[in-house]
Amino acid sequence: MSHLFEHNGAVGQGYSQPAPVLPASSIALPETLARKNLPRWPRLSEPEMVRHYTWMSKRNFGIDTGFYPLGSCTMKHNPRVNEVIAQIPGIADIHPHQPEHHIQGLLAIFHEMQYMLEVCSGMDQVTLQPVAGAQGEFTAVRCVQEYFRLRGETQRTKVIVPDSAHGTNPASAAMCGFEIVEIPSREDGRIDLDALRAVADETTAVMMITNPNTLGLFEADIVEASAIVHDVGGQMYYDGANFNAILGITSPGLMGFDAVHFNLHKTFSQPHGGGGPGSGPIGVKSHLAEFLPGPLVKKRPPVGDESQMAIDDMWYGWYQPTHSIGKVQQWHGNAGAVIRCWAYYRRYGRGLRTMSEHAVLNANYLRHAIHKAAKEAGVDTLVKDGAEAKVAKHEFTLSLQPAKEKYGISAMDIAKGLLDKGYMAPTVYFPLVVPECMMVEPTETESKDTLDTFAIHFAEVLQVDAETLHAAPITTPVRRVDEVYAARNLCLRHEYDDE
Amino acid sequence: MVDQLPNLGREAEMLAAMGMSSIEDLFEDIPAEVRMTGDLPLPPPQSEEEILADARRLLGANVAMGERVSFLGAGLYRNYVPASVFQLVTRGEFLTAYTPYQPEVSQGMLQAMWEFQTLISELVGLPVANLSLYDGSTAAAEALTCAVRVHNRKATEKDTVYVSELTPPDRLSVMHNYCQGAEINIKFLRHHADGTLDLESVSEAAGSCGIYIEQPNPLGILDGGISQLKDIIGEHTALIVAVQPVSLGLVEAPGQYGADIVVGEGQPLGSPVTGGGPIYGIFACTKAYLRLMPGRIVGRSIDVDGKVAYCLTLSTREQHIRRHRATSNICTNETLIALMGAMHMALLGPEGLHTLAVRNMTACLLAKQKLGEIENIVLPHANNHHFNEFVIELPGSSEECLAHLDTLGIIGGFDLSAWYPERKNWLLVTFTDQTSEKQIELFAAHLAVWASSRLVTA
Repeated sequence: MSHLFEHNGAVGQGYSQPAPVLPASSIALPETLARKNLPRWPRLSEPEMVRHYTWMSKRNFGIDTGFYPLGSCTMKHNPRVNEVIAQIPGIADIHPHQPEHHIQGLLAIFHEMQYMLEVCSGMDQVTLQPVAGAQGEFTAVRCVQEYFRLRGETQRTKVIVPDSAHGTNPASAAMCGFEIVEIPSREDGRIDLDALRAVADETTAVMMITNPNTLGLFEADIVEASAIVHDVGGQMYYDGANFNAILGITSPGLMGFDAVHFNLHKTFSQPHGGGGPGSGPIGVKSHLAEFLPGPLVKKRPPVGDESQMAIDDMWYGWYQPTHSIGKVQQWHGNAGAVIRCWAYYRRYGRGLRTMSEHAVLNANYLRHAIHKAAKEAGVDTLVKDGAEAKVAKHEFTLSLQPAKEKYGISAMDIAKGLLDKGYMAPTVYFPLVVPECMMVEPTETESKDTLDTFAIHFAEVLQVDAETLHAAPITTPVRRVDEVYAARNLCLRHEYDDE
Repeated sequence: MVDQLPNLGREAEMLAAMGMSSIEDLFEDIPAEVRMTGDLPLPPPQSEEEILADARRLLGANVAMGERVSFLGAGLYRNYVPASVFQLVTRGEFLTAYTPYQPEVSQGMLQAMWEFQTLISELVGLPVANLSLYDGSTAAAEALTCAVRVHNRKATEKDTVYVSELTPPDRLSVMHNYCQGAEINIKFLRHHADGTLDLESVSEAAGSCGIYIEQPNPLGILDGGISQLKDIIGEHTALIVAVQPVSLGLVEAPGQYGADIVVGEGQPLGSPVTGGGPIYGIFACTKAYLRLMPGRIVGRSIDVDGKVAYCLTLSTREQHIRRHRATSNICTNETLIALMGAMHMALLGPEGLHTLAVRNMTACLLAKQKLGEIENIVLPHANNHHFNEFVIELPGSSEECLAHLDTLGIIGGFDLSAWYPERKNWLLVTFTDQTSEKQIELFAAHLAVWASSRLVTA
């Protein structure tokens, strides 16, 4: 059967349950409250359900399936022991309202994660509450907003973002009520300090920027940029989407930032699950710490009976910041994701720098290998770097503009051609500042052999004629999907025939 | 870390191919003034075995609800997630995929989410559902801002929404954070002493952009008056209803009594409590809200051969296209947890959902009978129907009672003074499909002993 709603077996199929503690007849809901018709859900036995979802899983591509060089998304391997750990009852069966003495182990892990992120980022205080990168951005900008309100600097109504920024940056700042000022990048894809100087003034609240930037290039002028913003009294915000490139090498704190978010699901390998869950902690310098959403975890020596339950002679408790913006998620954030990322970080410990070195090594090697393979195949005139740079960081951009001009082959065509070679396609058409952009991020968990083979296959795709590429992919479960049709003929759920 | 890095030991070879001699060459673009010096002050790397052992030690020091007898709920509910859900959801093709930007190789997750949209749509009685927000609180907050976007033009009380005064402060705090940027005023709907909504107060909200209530409400009450709300507020004010999804196996679907937006904590369908996350927020609405709603949506389409195919649609609402004009900043959501929800719903079927709701509601009903018999304990809202939970008023503080029960291995419920500071003696006690008759009897017996001891000392 091709979809779930075609299953309609015997009543009550699927999942047998123990008897209720009282008969159903003891519930006498009045007419105004009682449901008249049950949802028209399918009826499946367990074997049918298992086969349906297994069949669908085989029509889906994950890191486990093959190379997933999706730029900006840091699709690294997800170690399986992390999934085992997340199922331990000491996290899976924990309620966020349990008292501190029930969750000392959980709080100890939270505290260790706060500390680890603080030392890696050069920030003074981290909160783990935001559940996604975009929510981290929103939370940090809210903290800065309240900081300025308390100081009476309500004229600061603007947030500056480069035109190469992730879409979430302007969206998050706008949700806080700020006006967005977009500044153009330089020709080489880097921040234009003159453009920044031209817009930075006493109305500037925050500048949001990622470094390495979305082209995978390190912004060497970042200290100068921070100084420009600080000179007018604004705050610097670091988008941590690209943090994977710099652990143990530099930090947002050293670059002059005041606040940062982390995409734990990228840097620390929470599986992305086809779109989530994520985890988006933020870190701030001390002047912003009392504005963070609470509660935070603090530790102290145990007192009295506490010593029996203390973890490594420390007692962990919740702390409510004095000027807290309140909550951005009702509970304690994505605790289960934080636990997985704790397990991931422990694998590297003080060696996290090696992780970043290999992420950068792999990205540069792949960039080199692609150009080399293209040259050997005689198609190097069809592809060029998205931005001139001797070295990239953890990702790099390519421009298929020459192929477009010469043969009408777009970045999307190349992407679809790569699907036919058994790869996930790189990110296409982002950042917007590179024409026919393809953004490639191999991550540190891919072998040299995989990178070499991908480079050769990439060059092979460049050799394919335009007509064939326009028709790609042909080996996938479905061929090119008509997104315009989907938008014009909205079908957002299964409709039953009797409707 | 060795087992995570396939190119350890091959650095020189790879660098040489690029004409480089050292890893340092790759970082020459990072100025010295921002370089970190020395090692990170962190412990040495660990092996998988060591990490697992330490995780078991630390997490084993926690008190899992299942090790005790637990009556704690207040928004999250202990449940049973069928084994097949965990087995299937950890298949790498689902687990390790990104957002389905390339639909040709993401048909499995796209179809599963289209099916999820259908399951939620049927459950709540509204035509449109997205594929999850972060949790119930962010879904509620986004519903408020969505209601203002849709209704502000015609509203007579502009930039204003009304929410139930019983809304838990942590949820309300999320609403305030999401609403303040758009300068939305949040006003309150009053409740009667018996816990039901004051319909007079609802009529004052007619003309605003929307009202937010919960069914069951935060005190576990199923409020019959809710079926009249849409008639009171009229078509230009959104009726937003938050639900405990399992209750909908017995309780009327909000779409049937005029809800415009339905939100809720999806957790009881498909997900363990997990410390409060990752869980998933439900968001469903009528077609009038479709183009201004937050979150990702899957549509059914065709491929170039005319074959049925699925893809993300209506993306022009979203941040990666619309940037600062997007309906929400959400990008990463809770897809995998929503997938667990879909699998649980698929297994339950309509009658299974009904049975699950009956198990939850009868556990609560039996507890109401047993606890109601205890001398010196009062059920202030006893005349209502309850789902999962109800309030008991104690002859002493909830704090003391919970501490006493804790020594007996019982997690006795939620101290409502955390929500309503003047209610020092109110305890919210919760019963789910995982509560047995024996546990209820044990709870009643211990509460009776404690209550009578208070009577003597009083």
